[in-house]
Amino acid sequence: MQVNQHTTIHVKVRPACALIILLIGTLLLVVGLIVSIAIDTTAIKLHTIWEAIFHYKSGILQYQIVRNLRLPRALASALVGACFAIAGAIMQGMTRNPLASPGLLGVNAGAAFALAICLAFYPSLSFQYLIIFSFVGATFSSGLVYGIGSIAKGGLTPVRLALAGVAVSSLLTAFSSEISIYYHIAQDIAFWHAGGVVGANWSQIKIMLPWVTGGMIGAFILSRSITVMSLGEDIATGLGQRIMLVKLAGSIIVLVLAGTAVSVVGPVGFVGLVIPHIVRILVGVNYRWIIPCSAVCGSLLMVWADIGSRVINYPFETPVGALIAIIGVPFFLYLARKERREL
Amino acid sequence: MNSLSHLEKKKKIRYMVTICIFLCLIFTTFLLSMDAGLIHLSPIDVLKVLVNHGTSQQELILFDFRLPRIVISLLVGSGLAVSGAILQGITRNSLADPGILGINVGAGLVVVLFISFFSSMQVVPVFALPFAALMGAVLTATLIYILTYKKGQGLSPMRMILIGIAVASGIEAALIVLTIHLDPRQLQFVTIWLAGSIWGTNWNFVLTLLPWILILMPLAFSKARVLNILNLYEDVSKGLGMAIEKERLILLGIAVGLAGSCVAVGGNMGFVGLIGPHLARKLVGPKHQFLLPASALSGSLLLIVADTLARLIVQPSEIPTGILVSIIGAPYFLYLLAKSKA
Amino acid sequence: MDCLHTAQLNIAYVDRLIVEDLNLCVPEGKITALVGANGSGKSTILKAIARIMKPKKGSVFLDGQSIYHQPSKEVAKLLSILPQNPTAPEGLTVGELVSYGRFPYQKGFGNLTQEDKKMIHWAVDVTGMLSFYDRPIDQLSGGQRQRAWIAMALAQGTNILCLDEPTTFLDMAHQLEVLKLLKKLNKEEHRTIIMVVHDLNHASKFAHNIVAIKEGRIVSEGDPQTVLTKGVLKKVFGIEADIISDPRTGVPLCLPYELVQEHDPVNIDSRMSYI
Repeated sequence: MQVNQHTTIHVKVRPACALIILLIGTLLLVVGLIVSIAIDTTAIKLHTIWEAIFHYKSGILQYQIVRNLRLPRALASALVGACFAIAGAIMQGMTRNPLASPGLLGVNAGAAFALAICLAFYPSLSFQYLIIFSFVGATFSSGLVYGIGSIAKGGLTPVRLALAGVAVSSLLTAFSSEISIYYHIAQDIAFWHAGGVVGANWSQIKIMLPWVTGGMIGAFILSRSITVMSLGEDIATGLGQRIMLVKLAGSIIVLVLAGTAVSVVGPVGFVGLVIPHIVRILVGVNYRWIIPCSAVCGSLLMVWADIGSRVINYPFETPVGALIAIIGVPFFLYLARKERREL
Repeated sequence: MNSLSHLEKKKKIRYMVTICIFLCLIFTTFLLSMDAGLIHLSPIDVLKVLVNHGTSQQELILFDFRLPRIVISLLVGSGLAVSGAILQGITRNSLADPGILGINVGAGLVVVLFISFFSSMQVVPVFALPFAALMGAVLTATLIYILTYKKGQGLSPMRMILIGIAVASGIEAALIVLTIHLDPRQLQFVTIWLAGSIWGTNWNFVLTLLPWILILMPLAFSKARVLNILNLYEDVSKGLGMAIEKERLILLGIAVGLAGSCVAVGGNMGFVGLIGPHLARKLVGPKHQFLLPASALSGSLLLIVADTLARLIVQPSEIPTGILVSIIGAPYFLYLLAKSKA
Repeated sequence: MDCLHTAQLNIAYVDRLIVEDLNLCVPEGKITALVGANGSGKSTILKAIARIMKPKKGSVFLDGQSIYHQPSKEVAKLLSILPQNPTAPEGLTVGELVSYGRFPYQKGFGNLTQEDKKMIHWAVDVTGMLSFYDRPIDQLSGGQRQRAWIAMALAQGTNILCLDEPTTFLDMAHQLEVLKLLKKLNKEEHRTIIMVVHDLNHASKFAHNIVAIKEGRIVSEGDPQTVLTKGVLKKVFGIEADIISDPRTGVPLCLPYELVQEHDPVNIDSRMSYI
């Protein structure tokens, strides 16, 4: 067999690029955090922010605003963005399916369903339990989607994943709709659906933090295995990889990250779809770089989208979910058009 | 030659029997549905009313409430099922239906826009809603078509499904933004509409829907042969001399017209377009000359049963029919998905 | 001589030019085999000849008329194609599939006429599939399935049959089955057959005319004696081969024994371009 002169061997692993992204990304992130704190219905001077963080004196209103409202909001955005992005990266790596993302998996519908049940039957539940509930709901629905998609002969093709996701989401949404209609909580659910960190506070972050940290550490540890998985299951097994174990661990991490993020911010699915793609194009195929870069870029996207949501229709807030969908949907369409594989 | 068409004869008989069974079931449910509700109208009562011997109250209930609603269920069910059968034929994927392709939510979007536009006014011109919904369906379908069409490659069935799902997600996101700006009353209405409920319950709506069904349905049936061939491998269809792009476009138009007009009157009814054709296919096989009529009947049956249940389960209020259809439909769909070959 | 011929055919796939200025003449009433390495463009050429694929430039002429300027249905009455790996919907029987071959002749609601039924019967009979008439295609063996598809192409009643790799995924016995059927059709019915094949020896044994293609161009054309030579094999396939004479028919057979040049081992990193 003659090798075509023009066969390009794409070995795209570019640590230098990754480092640059990490550095610049973190920088932009910090800037974003500051801007996020500074801009809102009332602008706060940078000097004040500095003082509020490092030389906090209770009693001064602006300091309180910074500490108790804006800082948690900004941090929550960053954390949530990172969670979604990492979850998406892991999913795409493991399923070798560029259209995989937590939103498509029905995570959102599951969490919404759990939320509907909560709001209808236990309206006075504290946020702690709400998070757990929505997390359980997310797990349930994505487990269903994943499971059914994988059972079928031929495994998890892009179309099958999408269709299973749609079916499970519709089912759960049907239940949620009925509950919301019957118990007249449509408005509350609508707000959650819009997605946003508007009401984020320290207690939420405190609850989130252990899960998120655990998930992220798990993701970093798993990254090398995911790189191997992304070469194909047969190759991975041939290289001595324990596929089932990696899949299980990966799935758990995805659920922890995505489930937690959804319970705080609502369904902002496209972050998990769009970010890993962009990162892969820039950084290559080694998940040891992809995962941290996705985290940084994901945070970046959420923080700046949150800023955008406050700036665009000043002084009203545009739902963050819609903003990200505006970026995400065209991107998804572009991907679907480009997909040449016989699906 | 006669021995060769032995199987064909068998298939034809099976088809006839299935059609008869469907008709009987529909008729039975029809009678039950008449009877269902706060006020009971037994079959004898129905008969009495029909020959002008019933009370005026019975007449009112029968003619102004139950009958139109049942007729609409039948029409909407058949329209959506045939639309689904066509889409499955075009995309060569037995898991396609107008809901998945986002045509339903597209209609929903325009409806919500319409309603929010009239928020200032107290009276929402309800009669205009069907047209808004139809417009939404057509616009969405056009968008999907434009996005799926690639020069030189035409309309790839798989791509159409993915793009349909993408467009549906986008529209849902837009819907979410819009619904926030509605007041609770409007929101309740929209939620119910989105869940799918036969809310058009008088003869005006029947008249709105009827022409669409009467024109598009026979048109769809006449395209049975084309659908058979489209279902084959693409190069084979081309090799047989079929103008693939043109036929796909025509069929897409028919499917959207049917789906749009049905959704306009029946709300966002998912899964009928999926389950109807599937059931029909299991009973009469994949030949579209049999499949299309059988789908129409199975869709009608499904919807009339769901609608009756919806009215019965939580009396005196009701569950939106669409929710019931989803609850029945989605698990079956997932089962089909799990069982399907790539 | 009335033949199917191409004139300055240029075929591109998206933006990549695969075939450039191809002038090919396919003799009538003979079996022509298109051979070449993977990616040489032979399937693409066949598809263009069967008007499945539109060329960028140039045309294909049949009986003096360009097939691109005739309605597709009319062309379908002159030329039929059996693509690679065709799939049929679940549950479709042989009889139903073959009946689809009458599509170019059907009008209106498309009931089968007497003529249609006659053709269908004949097609099923000549391919030896009568006993399988009511069997679903997915329950047939590879060879039987291929014969069913050939029956459909035959039901189209065309003089020219194009087949894209009809034997590639079949075992030896089924390959022989299909090739012998094609030979019979050619001999008894005088059909012109154009087929893309991978196995050179099959081409030699069953085809009258072989066209060897490399990178979209004709390297050699003619009867098996002319084409199956060491030089051509080296050029087109990059192999060193011994040429022997078939003990039964005397046609040349090739026995490859060495590759012409060293090539790079497949780098595992090349798999990473899944993006």
